[in-house]
Amino acid sequence: MAQRAGQKRKVVEVPRPEAEESEDELVNGEFDGALVDDGDSEEELSGEDSEGELEDDEDAEVELDSDEIPSSEDEEDVRQQLQDLKTSNGNTDVKQLGDDAGDEANYRITTDANGNPRYVYGEIDPAYDSDDSDAPATANTIGDIPLSYYDAYPHIGYDINGRRINRPAKGEALDSLLDSIDLPKGWTGLTDPTTGKALQLSREELEVLKKLTRNEVPGEGYDPYPDMVEYFTGKGMEEVMPLSAAPEPKRRFVPSMHEHKRVMKIVKAIREGRIKPYRAPTEEDKEREEAEAEFATYDVWANEQPQPDHIMNIPAPKLPPPGYEDSYHPPPEYLPDTDEKQAWEEQDEEDRDRDFLPRDHAALRKVPGYEKLIKEKFERCLDLYLAPRVRRSKLNIDPESLLPKLPDPAELKPFPTTCATVCKGHEGRVRTLAFDPSGKFVASGGDDGTVRVWDPVTGRQCWRIKLSSSEPVNVVSWRPGTDAFILAACCGETVHFIVPQGSVSSPDLEVASQELLDSGFGYAATNASKAPAGPDKPSSSAWSRPSAALQERGVLVTLTLHSPPKTLAWHRRGDYFTTVCPSTAAVSTAIAIHTLSKHQTQHPFKRLRGLAQSACFHPSKPLFFVATRQRIRIYDLQAQKLEKELQPGARWISGMSLHPLGSNLLVASYDKRLLWHDLDLGAMPYKTLRYHAKAIRSVAFHPSLPLFVDGSDDGTLQVFHGKVVGDSLENATVVPLKVLRGHRVARELGVLEVAWHPREAWAVSAGADGAVRVWT
Amino acid sequence: MATQVSGDRTAQVRIHLKTRSSDIELPEDTGPILVSTELKRYQLSTLVNRLLETEKPIPLEFLINGQFLRTSIDEFLTQNGISAETTLSVEYVKALIPPLYVASYEHDDWVSSVDVLSQSSRAAQWAGDRYDASTQRILSGGYDGLLRVWNMSSEVVATGQGHTASVKAARFMSPTQVVSSGFDRTLRLWKYEDAEAAGTASLTPTLELYGHKAAVDNIAVHAPSSRILSASSDHTVGIWSTKKAEGPAAPESLLPTANKRRKLSTAKTLPQRGPLSLLLGHQSQVSDVCFDEKDATVAYSSSWDHSVKTWDLTTSTCVDTRTTAQSLFSICHLPEASLLATGTVARHITLIDPRASATTISAMTLRGHTNAVVSLARDPNSSYQLVSGSHDGTCKVWDIRSVRNEAGSERVGDSVYTIERESAKGKPKSVAGEGVKVFSVAWDREVGVVSGGEDKRVQINKGLST
Repeated sequence: MAQRAGQKRKVVEVPRPEAEESEDELVNGEFDGALVDDGDSEEELSGEDSEGELEDDEDAEVELDSDEIPSSEDEEDVRQQLQDLKTSNGNTDVKQLGDDAGDEANYRITTDANGNPRYVYGEIDPAYDSDDSDAPATANTIGDIPLSYYDAYPHIGYDINGRRINRPAKGEALDSLLDSIDLPKGWTGLTDPTTGKALQLSREELEVLKKLTRNEVPGEGYDPYPDMVEYFTGKGMEEVMPLSAAPEPKRRFVPSMHEHKRVMKIVKAIREGRIKPYRAPTEEDKEREEAEAEFATYDVWANEQPQPDHIMNIPAPKLPPPGYEDSYHPPPEYLPDTDEKQAWEEQDEEDRDRDFLPRDHAALRKVPGYEKLIKEKFERCLDLYLAPRVRRSKLNIDPESLLPKLPDPAELKPFPTTCATVCKGHEGRVRTLAFDPSGKFVASGGDDGTVRVWDPVTGRQCWRIKLSSSEPVNVVSWRPGTDAFILAACCGETVHFIVPQGSVSSPDLEVASQELLDSGFGYAATNASKAPAGPDKPSSSAWSRPSAALQERGVLVTLTLHSPPKTLAWHRRGDYFTTVCPSTAAVSTAIAIHTLSKHQTQHPFKRLRGLAQSACFHPSKPLFFVATRQRIRIYDLQAQKLEKELQPGARWISGMSLHPLGSNLLVASYDKRLLWHDLDLGAMPYKTLRYHAKAIRSVAFHPSLPLFVDGSDDGTLQVFHGKVVGDSLENATVVPLKVLRGHRVARELGVLEVAWHPREAWAVSAGADGAVRVWT
Repeated sequence: MATQVSGDRTAQVRIHLKTRSSDIELPEDTGPILVSTELKRYQLSTLVNRLLETEKPIPLEFLINGQFLRTSIDEFLTQNGISAETTLSVEYVKALIPPLYVASYEHDDWVSSVDVLSQSSRAAQWAGDRYDASTQRILSGGYDGLLRVWNMSSEVVATGQGHTASVKAARFMSPTQVVSSGFDRTLRLWKYEDAEAAGTASLTPTLELYGHKAAVDNIAVHAPSSRILSASSDHTVGIWSTKKAEGPAAPESLLPTANKRRKLSTAKTLPQRGPLSLLLGHQSQVSDVCFDEKDATVAYSSSWDHSVKTWDLTTSTCVDTRTTAQSLFSICHLPEASLLATGTVARHITLIDPRASATTISAMTLRGHTNAVVSLARDPNSSYQLVSGSHDGTCKVWDIRSVRNEAGSERVGDSVYTIERESAKGKPKSVAGEGVKVFSVAWDREVGVVSGGEDKRVQINKGLST
């Protein structure tokens, strides 16, 4: 009974708003059950809210009591739920109840069968005791469990307090019951799948369902076919259609008669003179013009002259016009082949002559985008930012004008240009040569120990003498002056004074030369005691007569030194000469000045700084030039002091040549340089000529013409024009004229000595190839 | 070539023929002739011969604007850019036959000098009818100091021994007299006798002339006045007489003295004479000397001092000096043109007008040699041609009518023929003419061009038909 009461109470608790008919009955019945179990909830539930349905309950209870099936109340409950479907506002009152009971605990404590306290909870109103207000109202209180689980049981689940919920009555018993009573209002004969109760639908609900099944709008009062409101159509709302399919009217193609008429009218008027093309300006027009003229207008830019740019204006550099290689479709010869392409790619970016490779595109539209655009823009910006533009004052100088004005070699003729004669006969190198003062003969000496005299024009050997079989002839030098014909030849340690006999000289010259050479013996004999008494040390050299065989050949005097002399230079008068023996052990005797007429030898230098290389006399002044390996010192012989010291800057001087005026000195060096010293200018060379590939062996000024020539180990001679102006206001002009080739380089040696004809522009050279060449 | 219309008409050009040789002059009334431009030298020569009505055709050469016609007229006009519508002035000259190699006479040493004796030679002409016309002799002086006389069969018929050094010059003074000079500073006269037996002759010294102090490089002879001119390295020109009676005594200082042992070996002492006069004036050695062809009292000398001097021999004075830019090595008088041809060290021949009225020194330059020109000889047949011998190893034949103007109003001529040394054939050519230098050249009408040189040979070249 209590269970039933609970069930009933539970059913009652489901909100159901209406059913006001049997209020009293329900209240009573409710109170009974409720007081037994839980008074609080009973009290709460008291009210008029569930009166209507209680009327139904009463009926059902009665019927159930009479029946054995304990589900009459449940069935009523299902009906209640179906009723819930039709009405939506039935739970308002229940809500108010919930609010009233908010503060109290929703359970009571009872004692269960074991005597333990038992908490009996009040029924949960799903609408107010649950947070989920949007959840659909549950008609089923057994949870979300299919009814099939309870098919074997008489109940269909449990309520919150564990009491069974009985299965609603159905089947034959129910059918019979139903058959016995009238079909209730809203009976459908269907079972609610969620509750298992018979589904009852109200008339309105059925109506709705009916409309839905007919695809009709279910709502009431909805007119599916309302009257049309004519917003855009109708009278006065017609829209004019702009397009038309109508054919063009004919008048569009026919000249307009009207226009023709009008034109003809104008034509007629012009013909009749009613319309004049030119209308004479009226008074009004003139006035207006005058008024305009009063406002004098000026074109201030009419006579503007092009002005020079501002001083700070830096015009952009003019770019060259694009060439073929810039084309997108260049001719094939401008396209790089693979080698060029590879070379371009291997080149450093800064070294490339242009920053792109010509590429061929069949059409302009096939030219791809310029890949370096961003990079270039960036670099340009970087340039502008990092590199401020500086105005550089540009010098407008023609580079040609900076070059010294050199005369044309053709204007500087004569100078030797070709080899005229080759004198062959020497075995081994020709070490030295000299033109005789008259210019008729060339004397040469070589490694074979012979001295030979040649006719320079024909190349005929006119005279020869063998001085030694082992020692080379190092120097030959003619005594200057035409009053005698004396050749000095240094072979080994001996200086031979030779008067070539036979056809090369003349009898009276021979006699004069012999007398001149013999006079020394006479002087030496008569002044034997005085001679060594000079300021210098006694001579260590010996003047003597050679053997009879040599005397027969013309060697009249010999002078023997301590070491082989490599240079012999005459004083211009022909009485003094100097010898230089670079390889001597005693440095003080390296340079000796000899007097031919007295057979005297002096060593002017007690001590010499550096190794003596060469020496010569000044042509007019009592000056003496001594070249050591790196320096040239000029001594005044009269004052016996150092006059000047030159620093040619050469590492090893090979030779020197003094200009016939005595103001300029040419220095040849083994380090390929030829140095021009102007003695008026200072210690440093006035000009350095570096044209040879190998060491320069010899250099010679022409005795009368403004020419000089040098000979080098590279086998060439170089002829220069070297004009010296006497007034020392003007610097000397040096013009390279000609490279003379012809000597063969033998054992790294080419031209060993050069010399000039005394008057003509003929040079003569001694070659290591054994030839003497005359160049004219 | 002009287009031929229907095969019978060709381009024609109007030419005006002229000549400087009086013997082949055309009649006065011969005006310009219209000739086809296809004509070449041979056809023109035939044409002129027909006009001259010569019995035997004379081969002629044609000069247009100073150039020899070697092609057809049309090609010549095209090459020189001359219009065919102008009247061409064509000068015709007797053709020079190319001198072909005939023979070489081998010597022991370099040949310094050659001369020819033949009927048409100068010496024979001076001798007049005393000369037996049948023989031709070639005289050569060598660097071995010997004189040799050759016949035309390349046999030495006589040898002259007497010079103590190289002979530098040798000349036939007459068919019986030879003059020579050399490095030994003397001139020697020789008596030359053709023996009756063929192939033998004798050269006997007759006179020694002393006076020069250096080598005598060249001599010139004039038999009618018995004068010898010598060019010496001692800067003087000597005038000598061939007659012992005329000559003064030789200067003592220059005679070979007793202390010269080698001179003592000469057993037979010859008469010794000195110079009639020594002409001083040159600053350097005198290289060559020649008589004026027309006037034997005038002589010209060339020197290394770049000058040509005109000497009046009767007064022994220098009349005129012409200075050029180069050393001069040889001289030759061309009387008809009043020019002196001088060979220079600068590898060309300068033609100098020695007359006082001449405004320019150099009338013309003949270019083509590659080394010094040391010998010149006139063409005996023509007054316009000459031959030169050079150290470059060639002899060149020149025609002074063949001239062109170059820049700077310089008149330049080119050689007509070049005679190479036969010994140099097949050898690489050297610029300096090493080994084949020509030292002397002579041109005779009958013998041809005779030249001697460094190759130790006398070479004879002759135009075949002359």
